[in-house]
Amino acid sequence: MNLQAIVGNNVRLAEATRHLHDQSLDGLIAASNGLNNFLESNAVYVLAGVRPIGASAVVLDRDGRSTLIVTPAWDEERAAALSSTDRTVGTDDLATTLQSVVGTHRLNVSRTVSIGLSLLGQALVDRIASALGTLPNAADELARDLARIRSAEELAAAERATWIAERGYERLLEFARPGLREFELAAELYCFTKKLGAEDNFLLLSASQHNLAVRAAGERILDVGDIILAEITPCYRGQFAQICRTTAIGQPPPVVREKYAILQDAMSEGLTAGRAGARVADVTRAINGVIQKAGYGDYCRPPYMRVRGHGLGITSDRPGDIVERNERVLESGMVFVMHPNQYIPESGYLMCGEPVVVSGNGCRALSARQAQLDIIAV
Amino acid sequence: MQTVQPSVMLGSYVWAQDRLPADEFTLRLDELHAAMDRNGWPVILVYGDVREHAALAYLSNFIPRVRWGMALLPRRGDARLLCAMSTRDLPAMRTLTWIADVQSGMGPEWTKAFDPWFERLKGERAINIGTLGFDFMAPVLFQSVRASLGDRFVLQRADDISPVPPIRKRPRELTMMRASCKVIEAAANTFAASWRGSHEPETAALDAERTARSLAAQDVRTLVSLDGGRTLAPYQGRFEKIPGPLVGYIAVKLAGYWADMFVTVNDARSKATQQAEAALDMLIAKMRPGAPVADLHATAVDALAPSELHPVLSGSVGHGIGLSLHERPQFRAAGDGAVMENAVYTLQIGIADAASGNALLSAMVRSSPKGADILTRSPSTTAT
Repeated sequence: MNLQAIVGNNVRLAEATRHLHDQSLDGLIAASNGLNNFLESNAVYVLAGVRPIGASAVVLDRDGRSTLIVTPAWDEERAAALSSTDRTVGTDDLATTLQSVVGTHRLNVSRTVSIGLSLLGQALVDRIASALGTLPNAADELARDLARIRSAEELAAAERATWIAERGYERLLEFARPGLREFELAAELYCFTKKLGAEDNFLLLSASQHNLAVRAAGERILDVGDIILAEITPCYRGQFAQICRTTAIGQPPPVVREKYAILQDAMSEGLTAGRAGARVADVTRAINGVIQKAGYGDYCRPPYMRVRGHGLGITSDRPGDIVERNERVLESGMVFVMHPNQYIPESGYLMCGEPVVVSGNGCRALSARQAQLDIIAV
Repeated sequence: MQTVQPSVMLGSYVWAQDRLPADEFTLRLDELHAAMDRNGWPVILVYGDVREHAALAYLSNFIPRVRWGMALLPRRGDARLLCAMSTRDLPAMRTLTWIADVQSGMGPEWTKAFDPWFERLKGERAINIGTLGFDFMAPVLFQSVRASLGDRFVLQRADDISPVPPIRKRPRELTMMRASCKVIEAAANTFAASWRGSHEPETAALDAERTARSLAAQDVRTLVSLDGGRTLAPYQGRFEKIPGPLVGYIAVKLAGYWADMFVTVNDARSKATQQAEAALDMLIAKMRPGAPVADLHATAVDALAPSELHPVLSGSVGHGIGLSLHERPQFRAAGDGAVMENAVYTLQIGIADAASGNALLSAMVRSSPKGADILTRSPSTTAT
């Protein structure tokens, strides 16, 4: 049992209880569909500290009493050992059990809010609505807002996840060679990071002589002259951390080095711009500015790139996507990945990205070594 | 078995055209078209997400790596596939399906990709549209669909009227499933062998996962017991020796098709293992087309008596398996339906008993008129 994690999660429960008081609400129902999306907040994990196997929910009342409901029923014992809620119930019928638990907590559904019901399947939502008589009003932003600043324990977990990602990349440099299939390299990396403690890994890994984008590994056989793109995103104790790396098999043409330097410069500008109080849009413009100055302003849009970074689940995905339309203000302690990944006609798609934590002086990369164009000698 | 869903599918993420050529999907669509004609649906919408996508994969071969996908299949004319991916990712997505027209349906792309496609269906009268897989769709996307379609189109749930995928496997699907079974067998053998050498359940599970992934598995799920087989747990990172037998579970997905297996290995052969093996043998012997699944459940439970079925099986001793890890029917006491010829089932038996010990075993079988064709079965339960 991780006592520190439980203390941290109790803070979230306390904050949520305070919110119920402030808003004169009876209670809160926070649901999870059992997915651990690296771009999403998992409200059940935020409030209970449990990564659920299936659909699940936390019921919290304004007195601070809380119940975790997990499916399948047989997972109750594991969940109860990890959960920071007062009570844990295992069931194979979430809707019916939710109705019973809401009754136990004496919640008036019309004065109750929900998080995450919008992520469940329509059929399950219909059953819940039928069981409760109606659906509570949605407050889907609440969990990600409560958890938007990483606690000390969460930041330590994010740093550990970053450490795992960097060791994973070192393993890639050792293991990748001409003749290996992409999926074999992905398999090695995934299992290697799991052995280091990663409970999950959003791992994209692909190679080409001229990449259009990073994609999931396929059966392609690595060759001399390939550029390997890797988005390595281990999760450690609920904290995803992502590094984006570019690796050449054999000496790349000089133009690849030259264009990669543009991404590194953009990253540097982004780190400086990402100080507490700045807007996400400002950070995006700082990154795009470098790329525009290099003559690739027309490429600062899909399909040549996606976003300049994004929040990281599964506690809070704040500050959201690093895009020019995001006017959210950065706060000290927010963690996200900054990645000026970019398609450039002369070099193909290149990747450069670090997990960062926001401070008053700008963003600090959690990685010990920032991205550079690495070469596997052949 | 339900396990923790990984955040992304990785591994060999391709359309296996050598084994599932385009004409396979023409044949599959012929069956769908007949259902569309019977029900008056000029269009059917097929939804799948990263969790559950059997219908979408069966008809389009597309498997969402993250988020969701939706096939817009007309009775006449060209199909379109929407995926919740950036336009940056579309070239890679187009290699995964026979549908040539693949568009992003994410965020602002939705109205550009979804709405105009329906302009082909002009007219004054209300038009019925069939839906598959919409039970899994998040309400917010469902509302987008309804808002885009307006009042002129009526959505009709097709899942029960025309179940997709069919329970009976097509010949090429059986080839795919045999390949998946080869991978699960290799992984389960690694699971057992690694534990024999280390007595570390989580090390054994990870070694098994590595074997499966190195054989091109797209997805691997594992559970292990850290208490001698009484309960199962997802990965916890406890790479340490645990006393008692190895009791674990592994599922692998290869080119879209699942195979799964329980693994139990004891230092000394336990009574629970003997009981489970005998019950599994009996269940396999009764597997014939037409056998009611409730009767099969009763057979297995009777064979285990006085011990009871392991709680992690949630009252089931088997179910269909294929493009979904959990296909119909469930072999429960109150289960409906009967075994069908050329369907593939995973049969699962287990005991958690203070006196006899703990064991979980399984087999995957194809039902044939001659009986069960065993595709794969749990590895040896003895330590040597």
